[in-house]
Amino acid sequence: MKVGGSYTLPLLRQRAHELLQDPAILARCMPGCEDLKKIGPDEYEMQMKVVVSAVQGLFAGKVRITDQKPPESFRLIVEGSGKVGFMKGDGLLTLVPATVTTGVSILGSEGTEVRYEGDVQVGGTLAGVGQRLLDSTAKMIIRKFFEKLAEAGAETEQAAIVP
Amino acid sequence: MIPQNFEYSAPTSLKEALALIAKGDAKVLAGGMSLIPLMKLRLAAPEHVVDLSRIADLKSVHEDGKGEFPGGALHLGALATHFEIESSALVRSKCPLLAEVASNIGDVQVRNVGTIGGSTAHADPAADYPAGLMALEAKVHLTTAKGERTLPIDQFIVDALSTALKPNELVREIIVPVETRGTGFSYQKLAQPASGFAVVGVAARVRKSAGKVTFVRVGVTGLAGKAFRATRVEKLLEGTSGSAADIQKAAAQAAEGVDANTDLHASADYRRQMTKVFTARALTQALSRAD
Repeated sequence: MKVGGSYTLPLLRQRAHELLQDPAILARCMPGCEDLKKIGPDEYEMQMKVVVSAVQGLFAGKVRITDQKPPESFRLIVEGSGKVGFMKGDGLLTLVPATVTTGVSILGSEGTEVRYEGDVQVGGTLAGVGQRLLDSTAKMIIRKFFEKLAEAGAETEQAAIVP
Repeated sequence: MIPQNFEYSAPTSLKEALALIAKGDAKVLAGGMSLIPLMKLRLAAPEHVVDLSRIADLKSVHEDGKGEFPGGALHLGALATHFEIESSALVRSKCPLLAEVASNIGDVQVRNVGTIGGSTAHADPAADYPAGLMALEAKVHLTTAKGERTLPIDQFIVDALSTALKPNELVREIIVPVETRGTGFSYQKLAQPASGFAVVGVAARVRKSAGKVTFVRVGVTGLAGKAFRATRVEKLLEGTSGSAADIQKAAAQAAEGVDANTDLHASADYRRQMTKVFTARALTQALSRAD
């Protein structure tokens, strides 16, 4: 399944790039992330509890970052499996300076558009019976992630400026 | 096909039910048309299930002259089944769009057991009700052990399978307006043949006066993560004479600016195209029923 889209963060590109690779921030922003540990350079181990409607999936997996071109792009490889199924994702994230039109930013209108494009494979029971819902659910989870990231970003900026 | 062990409670009053879910870790069972299959597949394994089916209060369907809508409102208890709504003389005469939507859900077995509250709280992006509820600008009455609140449907449904419902909160009623005389309505759906879910579904309400279209509401389900009101279509059709060309021109905007779903059964482009086609069909039938 192809996924793609973009989200504009009210953060400068350098800062957005840093945040997207900060394990503490990622752990906070990934919906259902219960644990994220660094196990090597650009490699993390993760526990996720995904709750979508009545479905609860516990996933254990790995996140790897490759093709680093700070601050403009990197590739994110995610793998996870649990009782209800497994998933594999591979995506290229590109960061482009952009103008923020909505939301509050203490930086004014300077922001960063994060474009993502990739391929997600889902298997097991989850995919067998949930095919119809995979696309809309994946989009929802990505949207939630960026919303939280924008929030976290705004908070850290605030903390840096107002001691 | 056998669910994991779980604790089961079947309270007989709303108060008891609210006390049971107050801790926030129980799963509420209404008709069970979504939850039970998920439990049998072990995709859902709640430890505690609170079955609402014995609470008579939640089954009431009645009219209320004052309050929520200027022309009066119909209050549909969360446990009213699709069949009850489809066949209720009150709903058919006062809010016929909702009865028409209900009659299009799944199959007769599902309609006999599935409920409006359960379906709305589940917020499946391809469910039929949300299209009708958006077009009706319905409200959702929620309750906890401590208080109550009422949300417009477009604030209640947040995203695919996500609502504003808190873990300790229940959907008590869905509130829809009593339809103004002369309002035309239609629900047109492209059903997925195996599941009956809407690939796309479009609900329309229209009013005409002196040869002009004065009021249009269009709700679309199945196309995006959540059902929505196609306001561009509404604006384009209002004020026209409602000719076939006017309908085509307005319906062409139905999928504009929408991030469309894609799955094995229908690609995003196909869904967008079908949304335009079914919007035109819904508007055409609604206008032919308006007077």
